[in-house]
Amino acid sequence: MDRGRFGSQQDGFPAMAGDLSFLVTAAHELKAPLALIRQLALSLETAENLPAGERERMLRQVTLTSERALRLTTDLARSSRLEDGLFELEPLNPRQICEDVAHELSPLYKAKNREIRISARYRPLLVVANRDLLRRIILNFGDNALHYASDASPVELRVQTLDGGSRIRMGVRDFGPAITADVWQRLESHLGKATQPLHARPQSSGLGLYVAGQFATAMQGTIGATRHRDGATFYVDLTASTQMRLL
Amino acid sequence: MTKTPYVLIVEDDEWLAEQHARTLGEAGIRTESVPHALAAIDSVDTNTPDALVLDLLLAGPNAFTLLHELRSHADLAAIPVILCTANAEGIVDEDIQAYGVKQVLDKATMLPHDLVAAVKKVLP
Repeated sequence: MDRGRFGSQQDGFPAMAGDLSFLVTAAHELKAPLALIRQLALSLETAENLPAGERERMLRQVTLTSERALRLTTDLARSSRLEDGLFELEPLNPRQICEDVAHELSPLYKAKNREIRISARYRPLLVVANRDLLRRIILNFGDNALHYASDASPVELRVQTLDGGSRIRMGVRDFGPAITADVWQRLESHLGKATQPLHARPQSSGLGLYVAGQFATAMQGTIGATRHRDGATFYVDLTASTQMRLL
Repeated sequence: MTKTPYVLIVEDDEWLAEQHARTLGEAGIRTESVPHALAAIDSVDTNTPDALVLDLLLAGPNAFTLLHELRSHADLAAIPVILCTANAEGIVDEDIQAYGVKQVLDKATMLPHDLVAAVKKVLP
C-alpha cells in the first residue's frame, strides 16, 4: 500500500543546527564508521602473519567505510549552504542519475556481496532538479537500503511517472525484512522533518533521510517511503520537465 | 580435552562483526555472527554460547528485547553478556546489570585486545 506523500514544508537546517539532538544524531552517525575504521587500522597495525588477501580486504573496508563517512559530511556541509540558493535546476535524465549512483555505490555493494540495479525506461521523462542534490538524495537512499536488503535480493533504483506525466518519482526499493510497525510509524511521522530517535533505524539514524528531505525541498520536491511486506521503497517526487512536450 | 569457547556476536554492521570474529578467532575463541536479535534467538536455541557480544542498537528488536528474552529462560539467563556499543556514555550501569551484562565496551575507544580480555574474563 502506498502510504502517500509527506509534507514538503520541513524545518530549516539552521533551526536544526542549534538543536542538541541533531548534533547528537550527526555525531552518532559519524561515530559508527569512524569506530570501524579505527578497529580495522588497529588490527592492521598489530597483525602478524596476516594473509595478503585478508590484509587487502581490510584495507578495502577502510577505504569504503571512510568514503561512506565522507559522503555524510559532504551532505551535511551541502545542506548548511542550501539557503545560499547557489544551485541550478535543470532538466535531467533520471535514468542517467540512477546509473551514476549505481556506479558510485557498486564497489560498496560488491564488497558487501549485494547487488544494485536499475529499473527504468531508457528514455524516461526528464526531471527538473539539481544534478548534485538529486544524486545525493539517491545515494542516501541507496546507502540506507544496503543495510536492510537481504543477501539474495538486489536493491533497485526505480523511475516512475506520476500524475499524468507532471511528476517523476525516483525510488530505491530494498527487499529484506519488513520494517516493524512501530518503527514504521515513527519513520512515517518524522520522515525528512527531523532526525529519528537513535533507536529507530540503527544503521541510519535518520540523518541521511533528513538531509535528503532538505535537498528535495530545495528543489520543490518531497521525499517519502512505502512499506512493503518484503522491504521498503524510499523515494523523491519531483516536477517533470515540460521540455519534451514543448518540442 | 579443553572445549573451545564459543561466543555469539550480535552486530548489524557486518564488517565490524567480521572484525570482532577475527580478533576473537586469533585468541582461539570460536564465534558465530548474526545481524539482529531475532537471528540471535534462533542461534541461541540451537547452540548455547558461552558468552554474548552484543551491539546495543540493532535493526528491528533492539538489544534489550533480546536480553529480556534470554532472561525469561532459566537455561539462557546465565549467559554472560558484553555490550559493545557506540553509545556507551548513555548507559547507566544499574539499568543493565539486571540483564547479565558484565561489561560495556565503547566501540569508539576500545582496543581489539579489550574485547578478548572482556570475553575471557566471563568465560566459564
